[in-house]
Amino acid sequence: MASISIPVRSQDKAKSGLLGWLATVDHKKVGLMYMVMAFVFFIGSGLLALIIRTQLAAPGMTLVDPNTYNQIFTMHGTGMIFLFTIPMLVGGFGNYFLPIMIGARDVAFPRLNAFSFWITLGAGLVMSIAFLVGDRSAAAWTAYVPLSTSTYSPQSGMDIWLLGLILAGIGSTLGAVNFMVTIFTMRAPGMTAWRIPMFVWAMATTAVMVLLATPVLTAALVMLVADRNFSTQFFTTSNARLWQHMFWFYSHPAVYIMVLPAMGVVSEVLPVFSRKPLFGAKAVVISTALIGILGFTTWVHHMFVSGVSPAIERFFIFTTMVIAVPTGVKMFNWIFTMWGGSLNLKTPLLMCIGFLSTFVIGGITGVIQAAGPVDSYLHNSYWVVAHFHYVLFGGSVFGIFAGLYYWAPKMVGRMFDDKLGKLHFVLMFFGFNLTFFPMHILGLEGMPRRIATYAGDRGWAAGNLVATIGAFTIALSILVFIINLVKIARSKEAAPADPWEGNTLEWMIPSPPPEYNFAVIPTVQSDRPALDARNGGVTPAAHH
Amino acid sequence: MLSSAQFAIEQRRRTGRIGVRLFIVSETMFFAALFFAWYYLGVTSNSAWPPDGVARPLLAPAVLNTALTLISAVTMWLASRSIGRDDQRGLVFWMAASVVCAVVFMAVQTQEFRELAYIAQGSSYGSLFLFLLFFHAVRVFVGVVLMLIVLVRASMHQLNARRRLLVDATVMYWYFIVAVWLAVFTVLYVL
Repeated sequence: MASISIPVRSQDKAKSGLLGWLATVDHKKVGLMYMVMAFVFFIGSGLLALIIRTQLAAPGMTLVDPNTYNQIFTMHGTGMIFLFTIPMLVGGFGNYFLPIMIGARDVAFPRLNAFSFWITLGAGLVMSIAFLVGDRSAAAWTAYVPLSTSTYSPQSGMDIWLLGLILAGIGSTLGAVNFMVTIFTMRAPGMTAWRIPMFVWAMATTAVMVLLATPVLTAALVMLVADRNFSTQFFTTSNARLWQHMFWFYSHPAVYIMVLPAMGVVSEVLPVFSRKPLFGAKAVVISTALIGILGFTTWVHHMFVSGVSPAIERFFIFTTMVIAVPTGVKMFNWIFTMWGGSLNLKTPLLMCIGFLSTFVIGGITGVIQAAGPVDSYLHNSYWVVAHFHYVLFGGSVFGIFAGLYYWAPKMVGRMFDDKLGKLHFVLMFFGFNLTFFPMHILGLEGMPRRIATYAGDRGWAAGNLVATIGAFTIALSILVFIINLVKIARSKEAAPADPWEGNTLEWMIPSPPPEYNFAVIPTVQSDRPALDARNGGVTPAAHH
Repeated sequence: MLSSAQFAIEQRRRTGRIGVRLFIVSETMFFAALFFAWYYLGVTSNSAWPPDGVARPLLAPAVLNTALTLISAVTMWLASRSIGRDDQRGLVFWMAASVVCAVVFMAVQTQEFRELAYIAQGSSYGSLFLFLLFFHAVRVFVGVVLMLIVLVRASMHQLNARRRLLVDATVMYWYFIVAVWLAVFTVLYVL
């Protein structure tokens, strides 16, 4: 067997204990640190969501005052997006599995990688400390001007929030460079383009989007900092739309930055748990790339009510509807992957089914509100809150948990309790739909988003109560997940190298993997090298 | 045939060059955002662009700086060619010449900043004008630091025709800085 054997050097340098984590440049340890950090922020931002839902459970509640309420939903959104979803999927899964899945021993620039993590953690700490000591931003995660200017947000918490996002952006841009170079230059021999795993394709597309979009947000954030502190005149009231353009030029692609890696996870899990090849793998790759490109052409649909010319509005209505096409293609690919397969109904597959059935609703509501006239009615209503939670919870969070259950045996070397996992899924699935489905109706009934309370005669009480019950059900499901984590930590059942009969290279090395990943760099002969190894050679091309 | 150590250096150079190129892509997007803001505000502004009462900046220092920038691009190219030929003295000479160009550039611009600082707070036009100059100047400063590191390492004989990633990175980044200046000069001073 042809192979390249480069001497393993890092092994003897490895340190143990706390210093081993603080000083590590190992992509797996960096990935785990990203995941732990992201999970802590998930819990924190989730608790904030519970305060929001408690406040809205009944009309006229005064659990928190309106200003505090604004601060809470600001930090909920910021935390969930910048400190949980992106670090978990890109920093966590990306770091841990991208190098292993392409047969590499680490990323291209390991020290830069560790730097990206620490700067992201720094961003999180800066923002949370400001939040905890009470110096808070209250201008929502969108920080629209003039609300976020020094006139209406004089508190230094706003500056700290901006600084935190600049830091997080630098960390994520450098991470994108690192991943792209790793994918370009460090693939195992034989891993041609169509043999690259779907998760890696998703990460490659995500990295391109991060690289192109994030600097634009950074520029806008720096300009706002200058406006607030050095009296420059970028975002005066008459220039308010400039902020919206620059913000959404990043933040719309950011939706795909949060969803594409989750789609990549689903594209890995479904074939393994359906015991079939991914249906139309090339179509999935092409759709992923198309989403990456089209993702840059839709940002103005956030601004239809801000005043754009009819011609521009029509263009962005069109592009927004078009981007649903590659997403729809992938939906069918996933369904036909399961179709006729020998389904292994373990927790990772259930999470993927949760992903498919909720994400499709988020996709469809997206097409509905893409139409400008409809949007002007739905804009800033609870319909929008429902829509993006179906995309980012139904999509990203179900994808994240699919990945966590799928890869947990690999990362910690122990098996999780599948029964508890199923309980987690059932509670989360029902809790999620209870929380967010009624919000569609509340939005159509005219309930605006971001209001701290509402009068009893509006007829919104029932929907809100259901949503609050749902939110606590989600919280319960996360508690079940945490119990499962504790059980994993105490478990004596060592995970085998390949508990699921996987397809990709990570299943060919021990669980947990040694620091150098591969004693001998493998040679890849198909898109399912682990299957080849189990069969003792290359399987015949058995697509569909 | 390359030895395995040489192979590793060659591999590092290839990897590093792709990394620098991608980093430059992200830097390009940063400046693209500022230029977008410039044109967007210029088009949507209710008043004149530049606004009445704000004098157009002097062309003479900018022309001088453009000349310096173009000369520095040539000296950088010569420095890069020198290391390709393992010509240590050529590398040091041309890199030092580039440093001189960049330092004079910064001196000229410091004077310009002193005279123009007040316009940053008067209008969106002035704010963006100074922002574009300032963030380009930050890159020039980073470029000079990189050049000085090259000079120190060259004087310690740590660079040669094979071990040259640092020189490659410095040269590529400097070409990017030159390109940004040409865009800044064209948009802010000429058009």
